[in-house]
Amino acid sequence: MEVQLIKIEKRNDLSRSIYFLTPVLAIFLTLFGGGIIFYILGFNPIEALKFFFITPISDLYGLSELLVKATPLCLIAIGLSFCFKSNNWNIGAEGQLIFGGIVGGGVALLFYNHDGFYVLPIIILSGAIGGMLFAMIPAILKTYFNTNEILVSLMLVYVAKLLLDYLVVGPWSNPEGFNFPETRQFSESARMPILFGGLRIHAGIFITLITVFLSWLILYKTYLGFQIKVSGLSLKTAKYAGYKGKTMIIIVFMISGACAGLAGVGEITGPIGQLHRNISPDYGFTAIIVAFLGRLNPVGIIFASLIVALTYLGAETAQIFLQVPKYTGQVFQGMILFFLLGSDYLLFFKIKFLGLKKNEF
Amino acid sequence: MNTKLKVSEISKIYPGCVANDKVSLEFGSGKIYALLGENGAGKSTLVKILSGVVKPDEGQVFLNNESIKLNSPLDAKKNNIGMVFQHFNLFETLSVFENLSIDSDKKNEDLRVLVNDILKKYKFKIELDIPVLNLSAGQKQKVEIIRCLIRNPKVLIMDEPTSVLTEQETDDLFISLKQFSKDGILIIYITHKLKEVLSLCDEVAVMRKGKVVSVSNTNNEKIESLANKMVGENLNTIKKKINNFKNSEEILKISNLNFKSDDPYETNLNNLNFSLKKGECLGIAGISGNGQNELFQILSGEIITEGTSIMFRNKEIGKLNPRERREYLMAFSPEDRISQAAVPELKIYENVALNNFKSSNFFEKGLVNEKKIKEHSKKILSNFSVNTDNVELKSQFLSGGNLQKLIIGRELITSPELLVCFNPTWGLDVGAINYIHETLIQINEEGKSSILISTDNDELLKLSDRICVIYKGKLSKIMNADTVTAEKLGILMGGGSID
Repeated sequence: MEVQLIKIEKRNDLSRSIYFLTPVLAIFLTLFGGGIIFYILGFNPIEALKFFFITPISDLYGLSELLVKATPLCLIAIGLSFCFKSNNWNIGAEGQLIFGGIVGGGVALLFYNHDGFYVLPIIILSGAIGGMLFAMIPAILKTYFNTNEILVSLMLVYVAKLLLDYLVVGPWSNPEGFNFPETRQFSESARMPILFGGLRIHAGIFITLITVFLSWLILYKTYLGFQIKVSGLSLKTAKYAGYKGKTMIIIVFMISGACAGLAGVGEITGPIGQLHRNISPDYGFTAIIVAFLGRLNPVGIIFASLIVALTYLGAETAQIFLQVPKYTGQVFQGMILFFLLGSDYLLFFKIKFLGLKKNEF
Repeated sequence: MNTKLKVSEISKIYPGCVANDKVSLEFGSGKIYALLGENGAGKSTLVKILSGVVKPDEGQVFLNNESIKLNSPLDAKKNNIGMVFQHFNLFETLSVFENLSIDSDKKNEDLRVLVNDILKKYKFKIELDIPVLNLSAGQKQKVEIIRCLIRNPKVLIMDEPTSVLTEQETDDLFISLKQFSKDGILIIYITHKLKEVLSLCDEVAVMRKGKVVSVSNTNNEKIESLANKMVGENLNTIKKKINNFKNSEEILKISNLNFKSDDPYETNLNNLNFSLKKGECLGIAGISGNGQNELFQILSGEIITEGTSIMFRNKEIGKLNPRERREYLMAFSPEDRISQAAVPELKIYENVALNNFKSSNFFEKGLVNEKKIKEHSKKILSNFSVNTDNVELKSQFLSGGNLQKLIIGRELITSPELLVCFNPTWGLDVGAINYIHETLIQINEEGKSSILISTDNDELLKLSDRICVIYKGKLSKIMNADTVTAEKLGILMGGGSID
């Protein structure tokens, strides 16, 4: 029997520009793959892709919606990049977002019918702290009991979801709400200021931009960032250099959780204005894709969040115009990750064909 | 039967490096041939070509005047070329016999008879039915050799076989190899240990930069002449002045140091006691895996112990982490330069910043001071003759020798009072080894102390003022270096005792 022998080798000569270009390639492959799917479904692929990617942002309202969706995605992904860079796999940003939302929302309800400039900052801050505390659970369990942070952070998502469910159905449900599972609408002083009348884009975008800048500063210009980088590349080296590994794990989880909490509080004080069961369309999970598509680089993450946000909008438009389910958006997100991982594999490794060999075993 | 092996005009070019440049050599059975060369001289490539792992770009291999094609390790086996690699390819949890039967096409009963014959003939004492993980390194190597012998090899290639052996095991190996040679097996012995060439081999081929530079009879060679051929320049043999430290101040004191690990693959340390004076070099010999790793980590602070068990300049430092110990002027050069002492993916200056003092101001108020780190790095590169001046270069592009110079330089440029190094010249070529050795002697002369944990006895004898041996987590008594011989060390390393 003849077999083709294949050898997979690591590449040493990795060029930096290609490293940042492969995400773009992944996006084009996703468009191509999406076109094929639409074709199989019986649509004209070009038309369908136009509905998916062009129509949603062809007017001012669309652009504003794009930024509304990109704001939390970018914020969460930036936080996750701290974890991922240092080899800590925080998969539970969705839970941290919801918990941040719960804490922030609770404070907002506490200040119901209160006026004052201080109300919103307190809500935002408490949301960030909520997310941060929730993220510290997997971090502390990992450092002191050697648990697997992937499992713990992931399972805590469901804890947060069920807690939110309980609160909006039970103790926090709107007394005048005819038993709908939702809280009161927050009062005006507890809402993010709207930037332009008639559009939903809100001041949360500034929080995101400031966070991006601060993250860049921390990651590339500070001792903490250097320690995160070294720990991510080699834990043995970090230990040898005397970095406090356990403290670092907790710090990156805290940063990551705070960012997710901020995103959660931004959603409920921004576009939503109350607590209900579905305060996040899985932003916390989708942000993982955003973080990797942006190469864990703050600037890259900004672009990646815009692109992934577009898949949310595209799915809505496609639902209306093409009568396909809005989960098409998740298909596209999945394809982006799939093609990114695929091209990364070919980027880091090369495949050698060693020719046909007689199989002698 | 006579075996003749000939390689003719073999060339192998890797991107950016000519590994073999028209190499021609002839071997005949009945003799033991040494293939000698520095790292990167091309001997491994040649051996890989002979064992079918690598295909040459040009040239041919002849066995008994017939051209043979070696496209895979299987082809080498078919042509009766056996090879024992430096790293063993054995399944640890399988028994010795199972390991042998895996790649044999004989029936188990026949194989057992054959193996027993081989054991008897060469007086190997190995239990066939115990798992390989219970064997010593020397015994594992014998299993590899038996695996080759089963196939009636005409040629047996040994790649640096003594790096994991004790002196006694090495002697045993040499006796066996001489016996094989008498039985008509052609033996090619790859090494960079000069003494072994002279004591074992009949002929020696020296390779340098991919070329064969000399083929000669070992009777006409001396250690110095071979070293010169290997390096291509006259080496100054360095010898350390033995000093008297009676009146020097004591700088480090280890007392009742114990370490018990939860990890079965680590070695427990048992009641270690020693001290070190200013300007002194204490050598710690031993075969790898006897607790050196754990001892190094305890000295560096990667493993924290009781405060009082380590006193450095009269301060308890057992509970301090590596960074805090550096502030007390200790420096550390770990064994694993690629994944511990440095990160290959980081640039040179970033690797320099790993060794960070408060006073060096690399990180002022938590911010990275790139300019300062780069200046400091440039100083290291020029002071320690690293062959680049580009601090932005990723460390993965440095050769082993240059990376080690960078690491030692990073540790020494801050003038520490104590340097702890673990196998500092492991895997380096002679030029780099000499440089590191000179540096280590120089710091002693400047009144700085050092602890040298090493598995290379020549290095220990050359650099240490006092030497002890670590065996199964216990230290032997500490001896003055001038009273120690390689033989004594060998006995202690193998668990024996001397008066």
